[in-house]
Amino acid sequence: MIEFLLSGPDRLLPYLAVSAVLFSLGALACAIRRNAVGYLMGIELMLNAANLNFIAYGRFRTSEAAAQGQVATLFVIALAAAEAAVALGLVFAVFRTFRDVDLEKVRTLHGD
Amino acid sequence: MLFWPVVAVSLAGAAGAVFARNLVYAALSLGACLTGLAGLYLFLQAEYIAVVQMIVYVGGILILILFGVMFSRDVLGRSTPPSLGAKILGGLAASAVLVSAGRLAWIISNLPGTGLAATRSPTQTWEGQIASHSQNHLGELLLNGWLAPFLVVAMLLTVVLVAALGLVRKDAT
Repeated sequence: MIEFLLSGPDRLLPYLAVSAVLFSLGALACAIRRNAVGYLMGIELMLNAANLNFIAYGRFRTSEAAAQGQVATLFVIALAAAEAAVALGLVFAVFRTFRDVDLEKVRTLHGD
Repeated sequence: MLFWPVVAVSLAGAAGAVFARNLVYAALSLGACLTGLAGLYLFLQAEYIAVVQMIVYVGGILILILFGVMFSRDVLGRSTPPSLGAKILGGLAASAVLVSAGRLAWIISNLPGTGLAATRSPTQTWEGQIASHSQNHLGELLLNGWLAPFLVVAMLLTVVLVAALGLVRKDAT
C-alpha cells in the first residue's frame, strides 16, 4: 500500500487503478440511474476509463506504442462525441413522446 | 507532488457524477472528472490528447449533457430514487468489475519481461514536448496506417450529424 502511494506518476499501476475505479463507477451509474442523461454520464465514464488504459499502456511500452495508443484514444473520443449527439437527439425524441426522460416510464414496447 | 491531487479530483468527480442526486451537480462533477483525466494525460506525456479531451469532452459533450439535463422533469432527483434491486445488483456488478480489474491491473503492472513494470520518468518537460515533433508523428500515423478508420469516422460524424438533426426535427414522429 505504502509502496503504491509512493509510486507516483512514473509507474503504470496508479493509472490502471484509476481506470478500474472509473469503469466500475460508470457501470454502477448505468445500473442505478433512472434518468437517461445520468445513464449517458455513466457511459462517458466507462469510455474515459478505456481511454486512460490505452494511453497508459502505450506510455509504458515503446514510443511507437504510445503513438498508437493516442491515435486509438482519438478515435474513441470522436466516437464518444458522435454517441453523445445521437443520445441527446434520442433524449429529445423520448421527451417529446413521453414528456419525461425517466427510463422506467419508457415502456411502450414492454409486454404486460 | 501534483499527481495525487489530480487523481483525487478525477475520482471524486466520478463519484459525484454517479452519486449526486441533483443532475446538474452530477454533470458538473463529471466535468471535474474529465478535467482531472486531462491532467493525467499530461502526466502520461499525451499533451495533444489532453487538449483534445478539454475541447471535445469538457467543451462539447459536457455542454450537450447539461443541455440534456434540462429535459429532465425531476432534476433534483427527489421522486425517482433507484429501486433497491437496481442498487443491490448494480453494486454487486460494479464491485465484481472493480475487484477483477484491480487484480488484473496488479498482475499486469508487475509482469516481468514486458517493460510494463519499469519506471518511466518524463524525458522532457511539457513545454519541450509540445514543441517537439510528437504531434506531427501522430498526424503521420493518422494519415498512413490509420487512414481508412479515419475516413470512416469522418463519414460517421457526417451521418450522425444528419441523423441527430432528423431525430429532433419538428415534424419527426
